[in-house]
Amino acid sequence: MNNERRMRILTAKMGLDCHDNGIVAISTLLKEKGHEVIYLGIHNSAPKILNAARQEDVDLIGLSFLCGTHMPRIRELVRLMDETGDRFPIIVGGVIPSRDAKKLEGMGIKVFLPGTPFEEIETRGVRAEAVLPSGDAE
Amino acid sequence: MSTDKTDAGIELKDLYTPDDLKDFDYNQKLGEPGSYPFTRGPYRSMYRGRTWTLRSQIGFGTPQLTNERIQFMTQQGQTGFTMTIDLPTSYGFDSDHPLVRGEVGTTGVPISTLEDMETVFRGVPIGDLRVSLSIRPPVSAVTLGMYVAMAKRQGTDLALLSGTQQDDPLFQMSGGPLQTHVQFFPLDQILRLCVDVAEYCARYLPKLNWMPANGYNIRDTGVSAIHEAAFAMSGALYVSERLKERGLAPDQFLGRLTFFHSAAGDFFEEIAKFRAMRRLWARLCRERLGATDDRSCLFRTSCQTAGSSLTTQQPLVNIVRATVESMAGILGGVQSLQASSYDEGLSLPTEKSATMSLRTQQVLAHESGLNRVIDPLAGSYMVESLTDELESRMEAMIQKIDGMGGIVEAVKAGWVEDEINRSRTERLRKINSGETVLVGVNQYRDESEGDIEIFYPDEEAWEKERCEYLARYREKRDGEAVRRRLDVVKETILTKTNMIPSITEAVEAGATMGEIHDAMREAIGFIIE
Repeated sequence: MNNERRMRILTAKMGLDCHDNGIVAISTLLKEKGHEVIYLGIHNSAPKILNAARQEDVDLIGLSFLCGTHMPRIRELVRLMDETGDRFPIIVGGVIPSRDAKKLEGMGIKVFLPGTPFEEIETRGVRAEAVLPSGDAE
Repeated sequence: MSTDKTDAGIELKDLYTPDDLKDFDYNQKLGEPGSYPFTRGPYRSMYRGRTWTLRSQIGFGTPQLTNERIQFMTQQGQTGFTMTIDLPTSYGFDSDHPLVRGEVGTTGVPISTLEDMETVFRGVPIGDLRVSLSIRPPVSAVTLGMYVAMAKRQGTDLALLSGTQQDDPLFQMSGGPLQTHVQFFPLDQILRLCVDVAEYCARYLPKLNWMPANGYNIRDTGVSAIHEAAFAMSGALYVSERLKERGLAPDQFLGRLTFFHSAAGDFFEEIAKFRAMRRLWARLCRERLGATDDRSCLFRTSCQTAGSSLTTQQPLVNIVRATVESMAGILGGVQSLQASSYDEGLSLPTEKSATMSLRTQQVLAHESGLNRVIDPLAGSYMVESLTDELESRMEAMIQKIDGMGGIVEAVKAGWVEDEINRSRTERLRKINSGETVLVGVNQYRDESEGDIEIFYPDEEAWEKERCEYLARYREKRDGEAVRRRLDVVKETILTKTNMIPSITEAVEAGATMGEIHDAMREAIGFIIE
């Protein structure tokens, strides 16, 4: 774990969900802490996110969900990465019920619920060693 | 919360005295409730005459499930509800559109057909229950058409059709950003349809309220009470000015222009906010828009307690937050109230949490005595000082927005989004540093707390049911009649003619929400990326 390294993170929202308080605020705070954040905005598809992640050569991808569609959207992204062979760690925030959070953690995806201190997101989520998502957990 | 400033940053003394209200002119600043400038309330009798509407926000899954929840909540004692549509419908897509996989029914009810609307409202006594449709243009043009078509089928006189059609073109989708509002439909036509809805209501539906600005959604981005008021009123001014351009006199449409605002956590500031907004809006109607009838100058608002103030941790504590916020709304004199559910930070409301929200209101309505006296805080040295200060700052911000060319230009220029981003990031910073205390989150945590029972969406089953329904639906209707009506929609959108009649006819012929939107997009050459 490197506490000094400047990380490069792609943040984005997927699907129709437009609630962007969390993703924008976290992206801004990460930038203030010295990380390079590429915020892709909202309504992104899995291919668009993966292409951007590749082009920007990021260390990880951060997603945020509030509208209950996190499982199908995340699965799409993970499946696409399985197909293309790209491996980007994913971290997720937002309104994620604990049942789904457990599934995601089981897939190697770290979940940060509202109210998580920013330092924890930065340390455990952004700076931590790369954890590569391991495909579908039903 | 700071001890010496309000949430919006207004300095607070520790004590207010008669000196703070020296030269206070009761008649000019307050007057009677029901009299200009309406600071004390839009109606003379307020809650003594009629209690605020006890509303729930309802919509999920399928029209059938939504109808069942409406019936359930009506049995529990709600006196109104707001129908919330799902995300696909919000952007003008049917449930079977390829872009919306996995999103059907997860945040609201899918509405594709007139039948869907009728299913939602089956057995719902529209006369007794106050109905609000939480919907933005362009979709509000179609739902208005459906609401009108439904009323006609039921034999209701359109001149008596009541309810509220929300119609905010800029802030409905979680308060912004602009990207979401224009991703699937162009801004100029969104604005045109917004005014079409308002104009149609003004001319033909004299009892239907319409709402040009969703102040609640604006506020839930994290901006202050001052922004909430200034953005909402600027939005209302924008639509009002467009209606005047179309030849309507202010007194023809202002009477049914209503608002929807948040009741957030800073108790006295929120009460003062509503009072300030009433006085300011009244003045804007008279001085700026040229209303001559005092009844055109009423700031009437529904209200929801701030969802963004609720926590994921220790969710039952949210009942307390929603109660305090509801009290602020009531003491602020709102016309209708929705108390957000304690599981806001976890999922859609369950029957249990929705009922708790209603019980909160019922205790306040029947046990607390808060509604016995009109505007009981009037004359308070502090509340009047705060009301004056808020009015002044709201007006200053409206003038600033005017200086940018109005709210639409301010949005396009990115200024509104900058204010939103600055506010929301500052809020998170303060929670993170502990400067803002959030009970259960950055103080008084309970690491051992277990999970509460929450609602789990069944989006796969809902989507399957909707796709099967839509396939059957398209089979059995007169496809040729639909095509002819959609052709009329395509022709009309290229003119300046009000779209509501042609959209209503398309709905009546059997065209779906998605098909009407596709027709409009095709005619104007808008391609979804």
